[in-house]
Amino acid sequence: MTRDQKTYRMAYWLASLIVAGVMLSGYYKILRPADFALSVYRFHLLPDVAVNLTALYLPWIETVCALCLIFVPRYRVAALWIALLLLVLFTGGIAINLMRGSAFGCGCFGSAPDAAPMSGLSIARNLALMALVGLALLSRKRAWARP
Amino acid sequence: MKHTKRAKNPFSFFGCFASFAVNEKASTLRRAVIILLVSGVAAIVANLTHPNKIPWVQDWSAQVEGRAKKKNIRVVPLSVAWGSVQNGQGVFIDARPVREFEEGHIPGAVSIPLAGVDDQFETVGSLIDSGSELIVYCSNRECDDALLLAIALKTMGASDPLLFVGGFEAWEQSGGNVESGP
Repeated sequence: MTRDQKTYRMAYWLASLIVAGVMLSGYYKILRPADFALSVYRFHLLPDVAVNLTALYLPWIETVCALCLIFVPRYRVAALWIALLLLVLFTGGIAINLMRGSAFGCGCFGSAPDAAPMSGLSIARNLALMALVGLALLSRKRAWARP
Repeated sequence: MKHTKRAKNPFSFFGCFASFAVNEKASTLRRAVIILLVSGVAAIVANLTHPNKIPWVQDWSAQVEGRAKKKNIRVVPLSVAWGSVQNGQGVFIDARPVREFEEGHIPGAVSIPLAGVDDQFETVGSLIDSGSELIVYCSNRECDDALLLAIALKTMGASDPLLFVGGFEAWEQSGGNVESGP
């Protein structure tokens, strides 16, 4: 293994761990499904029938992906692609609501009554996370490339 | 014995990589599907056993927020409502009955109970004329007194009354000061 490959492997693991940590920090969505369902509803992007199902399903996708990123190396790449897809969807949802002038928080990491409304910072944070996922995927490709 | 040298396929080297890439994509896709399936099963089991389980499908349009959306009443959370009041732009209006208002309310809030809105025409008029943002609240997210009052205020000439949907409950939960008395 070359020195570059070692660096890429390190970057891959580190980026994967950070993404996993961020995904696990949304655990409140599992503990308080009603609060998260309300957050999903407040995006006003889904039909009523899909709100609760989405609110129940999304946190578990995040959690299972995070666990795969940490503990199941064989599933890490698949989990990273799913994380990227979720981030694209979340960012799109936030962008649409910012354009609509929504006053509510995104419910990404909590649903305190005095939570700050979503803003450009929410999008910047998601873009940074997407970059991190991209770095992990790219590093993985380079780390295991044949010299 | 005649040896025939097998012709080298110049693309076989790249072909090997291409098939490797295709195989890897297929296995990544298969694993992604497995992750999604496992997540689905976990979500179902979790909601079946959760102490605070929620219905799989809910009629959100019947909720106060859904009704407010239909009536074009803007719904705001505490952070926005409080920010507006702190900036001096907004004023809280308590739509609960007088007894509940006197037991405890948001400091500085004006009491205009839904039942007596017609009797307070002068107060409402001066609030509308002041040009302040009228932020209406009631007990919690389930009560609709504030929504109905916001609709009434709009009918009376308020341009854009806001519905602080969390109500007094959200205010208390966030640790806000409580004023009592008239």
